[in-house]
Amino acid sequence: MIGRRWWTPWMWMTPALALVSVFLVYPSLDTLRRSLLDERSKAFVGLDNYRFIVENPQPLVADTHQALLTNALWLVVFTGLTVPFGLLLAVLTGRLRYEAASKSAIFIPMAVSFVAASVIWRFMLDFNPDIGTFNAIVTRVGGDPVAWLQDTGLGPVGGIGPLQLNNLMLMLIGVWMWTGFALVVLSAGLKGISSEVIEAARVDGATERQILFRIIIPILRPTIIVVTTTLLIYAMKIFDLVWVTTGGRFGTDVVSTLFFKQAFINRDFGVGAALAFILLAAVVPLMAISVRRFQAEEERA
Amino acid sequence: MAGIVFDRVTKAFGDSLAVREFSLEVVDGEFLVLVGPSGCGKSTTLRMLAGLDEITSGTISIGGREVNSVAAKDRDIAMVFQTYALYPHMSVFDNMAFGLKLRGVPRSDIQQRVQQAAALLGIEELLRRKPGQLSGGQRQRVALGRAIVREPAAFLLDEPLSNLDAKLRVQTRAEISRLHQRLGTTFVYVTHDQVEAMTMATRIAVMNEGVLQQVGSPQELYDRPTNVFVAGFIGSPAMNVFEGTVRREGERLVVAGDGLEVEVPPERADSFAPLEGRALTFGMRPEHIHDPAYVPAGIVPALLDADVDITELMGNETFLHLQRGSTALLARVDPRTGARAGSRTSVVMDLTHLRAFDAATGLAVPLEVPATV
Amino acid sequence: MTTTRSASSGHRVTWWQRLPLHAVVIAVVVLWSIPTLGLLVSSFREPSAIASSGWWQAFTHPDQLTLANYERVLGEQGMGRAFVNSLLITVPATVLVILVAAHAAYALAWMRFPARGLIFLVIVGLLVVPLETTLIPVLRLFSHTTIERELPLLGGNVFGTASYTGMWLAHAGYGLPFAVFLLRNFFVSLPRDLVEAAHLDGASDLQVFWRVILPLSLPAIAALAIFQFLWVWNDLLIALVLLGDPTLAPMTLKITNLVSSFGTSYQVLTAAAFLSMALPLVVFFAFQRFFVQGMLAGAVKG
Repeated sequence: MIGRRWWTPWMWMTPALALVSVFLVYPSLDTLRRSLLDERSKAFVGLDNYRFIVENPQPLVADTHQALLTNALWLVVFTGLTVPFGLLLAVLTGRLRYEAASKSAIFIPMAVSFVAASVIWRFMLDFNPDIGTFNAIVTRVGGDPVAWLQDTGLGPVGGIGPLQLNNLMLMLIGVWMWTGFALVVLSAGLKGISSEVIEAARVDGATERQILFRIIIPILRPTIIVVTTTLLIYAMKIFDLVWVTTGGRFGTDVVSTLFFKQAFINRDFGVGAALAFILLAAVVPLMAISVRRFQAEEERA
Repeated sequence: MAGIVFDRVTKAFGDSLAVREFSLEVVDGEFLVLVGPSGCGKSTTLRMLAGLDEITSGTISIGGREVNSVAAKDRDIAMVFQTYALYPHMSVFDNMAFGLKLRGVPRSDIQQRVQQAAALLGIEELLRRKPGQLSGGQRQRVALGRAIVREPAAFLLDEPLSNLDAKLRVQTRAEISRLHQRLGTTFVYVTHDQVEAMTMATRIAVMNEGVLQQVGSPQELYDRPTNVFVAGFIGSPAMNVFEGTVRREGERLVVAGDGLEVEVPPERADSFAPLEGRALTFGMRPEHIHDPAYVPAGIVPALLDADVDITELMGNETFLHLQRGSTALLARVDPRTGARAGSRTSVVMDLTHLRAFDAATGLAVPLEVPATV
Repeated sequence: MTTTRSASSGHRVTWWQRLPLHAVVIAVVVLWSIPTLGLLVSSFREPSAIASSGWWQAFTHPDQLTLANYERVLGEQGMGRAFVNSLLITVPATVLVILVAAHAAYALAWMRFPARGLIFLVIVGLLVVPLETTLIPVLRLFSHTTIERELPLLGGNVFGTASYTGMWLAHAGYGLPFAVFLLRNFFVSLPRDLVEAAHLDGASDLQVFWRVILPLSLPAIAALAIFQFLWVWNDLLIALVLLGDPTLAPMTLKITNLVSSFGTSYQVLTAAAFLSMALPLVVFFAFQRFFVQGMLAGAVKG
């Protein structure tokens, strides 16, 4: 604009830039720095910390492989359940008169803090069948009570790597919390599809299943991608839920809980920082996809 | 004094030039219309005058003061946007008062000026309403009111009528002209509609592809277009245009196009002789082609035979869509004409009003044809 | 944006053919609500009842219901104070992030300056940073800059660890990427000629911002406020690491401490947990519309 001084925009952005630099940029750089130093952040050790993570020499102190694998499992299971479930519910609720109410009910867990959620679910999954609803049902049907959050096995098979009962339960809690998000966003996207396309397909003789897979999903692809990348990013960074519910014990550690343990409990800043940096680096490509997708939408409109 | 001077104003967006070396002097108090097809650079020129877009090179002066680096709000101009740009969350009164409030005008003055402008535009009952509750025509008036209240040195209007329906457009055209007469302020008006230009302007500036084609009064542009673009742009229905040359056939001179031949009457031979042999583009307005039975007095007739493709009965006149060889012509003839679709007919061309343009440059070639009464 | 009906209506079927549809949806809704419901019901039950019979029994034995758990939690356990702390942390943090983000978003949306696109990308890109990884450096920073003087009226230090101001700034900083993203995209969707008309009318940047842009951006700001409010209210980690002082602890922190000291004494936990959920739920229900709009503005264009 003519007459605007060159420093004006910068003045407007200074508080934001300052806050972001202090709380996000500087710590990230500091983390990178520390990941190249030893536990006390004194001596330069090059890539030793990263090597530690890859080789996993002390699984009893810090099981890096387990954490990485569990995180990977989170990506697959959590996202793989939430997105389809959200989509299915979006399609189903869209046909009901009480659509808004049902969406709200499913969305409520998002308003709940992880702490409260952990209390809720510890309660639900309590070993004592007089308290825990799950075990109450299991014993009613004649089974034995299950230690849902501590069980590292998978029934008679036993756990396969990170594929353990307790991990699955944690992921289910995550699904419980985030399906509402997927539901609401996908539902909004669904409303943008003209009903004429669907009706034309019906007239052409398509079954509901075919309509879902051949018409709805392809049209909703951008929205599905956005929801998926958001959830993937969240699954990568998952911390609160795991930490508050199981503290990362019994094989439920993910990268960020392991980081926390290393940094705050074991006081190994070097490895801790390396873990943190790996996490950051892993999320960047996901973020790039999301942003590029968004910019494409912007250009189109 | 609010004369506006554009001196070789150029606007570049990256590598492409939207406006090239635009030079024009707008006289204080006149109604200048910038007209041209989409993309010709007229809106860009207006925006540079308003201070909304930066000027790449050249200068703009308002009232003798160069304003290239003067902020829009200090240029003493008011603008009416195509979309009206009314503040949706404010009442009509507040919309109109906004600019005055910002400048610290005392409350009583604001009250008076807004009331006056509202009365002028007939929107007093609407002052308490919000823009969302108004019709398109009403919103347009509020936009005008917001500009009037500022009492600027010049009004800038960017296609203000294009969002109105046809009937409202005709009505509003007259109102804007009336407004100009009442206020006497300079109006700079941008449109793509040459009818608006012809009916409202004291002077018209025609632009095409960033270049100013011609400036002049509506009549000047109509009668004496300086190039073939202006000739074809101004006037509705458009001027008939065909390529051709002047040939000599024995004693006679002939204006010849593709499949079309008109003999030049001997009285006109002197005017046409200098053009002999040149590659030309000819132009003739439809109203200068007549039915031979109903030719106005004083015309020196040049006869032409042609096939009638379609006739359109307008009531007060009839449009004949003619075909001669590969040349199509439109003639506006007396409604009593006997010409029928599908038949052959004769028409009379009034060569007094034949325009000639150089086929290569498009520039008008002087055709010294003495006017008949 | 199409104007026709949604993809899912207008299909003529008899009601009993739709029964499976209703059944599935209602089943999911019920399943989804059970955990929260179980908690709520339990919080009103006698301690002995909680430990010995399932919460669904409460419906058949209404005499077990009591407010004692809540009384205990609010009084003894200091949840009342924790509630106030949560408010003292959350409300200013929300206001601060909105103010800072709005100014930055306005500049990014409506002012032209070099590297504008890049800066926006960087700010939004910072969403990748996992919060917990920033805590050590920030904690260090706070420790070095702590001003041990007591903040009047509110308590806590003036700045640094165990200070409300530190929390406000930290939460604002962490919330900025999302906030700037949301607001800038909304601002950009406002008509350009509205801003131009305001400038022509004589408005400076600040005046356009406060008198034209902000009033028209209330939906987006409301959505942002709700997101930030919920996020800060429900935060545990930042309070855990940066606060330190138990008297300033918000509800989330308080409950975690209760969990560690009370373990499976659910009578206290359930009441405490539900109290901490109460306000967010109210906020959520009251502002549902904005919530959805906000998520759409952030997640899907249009």
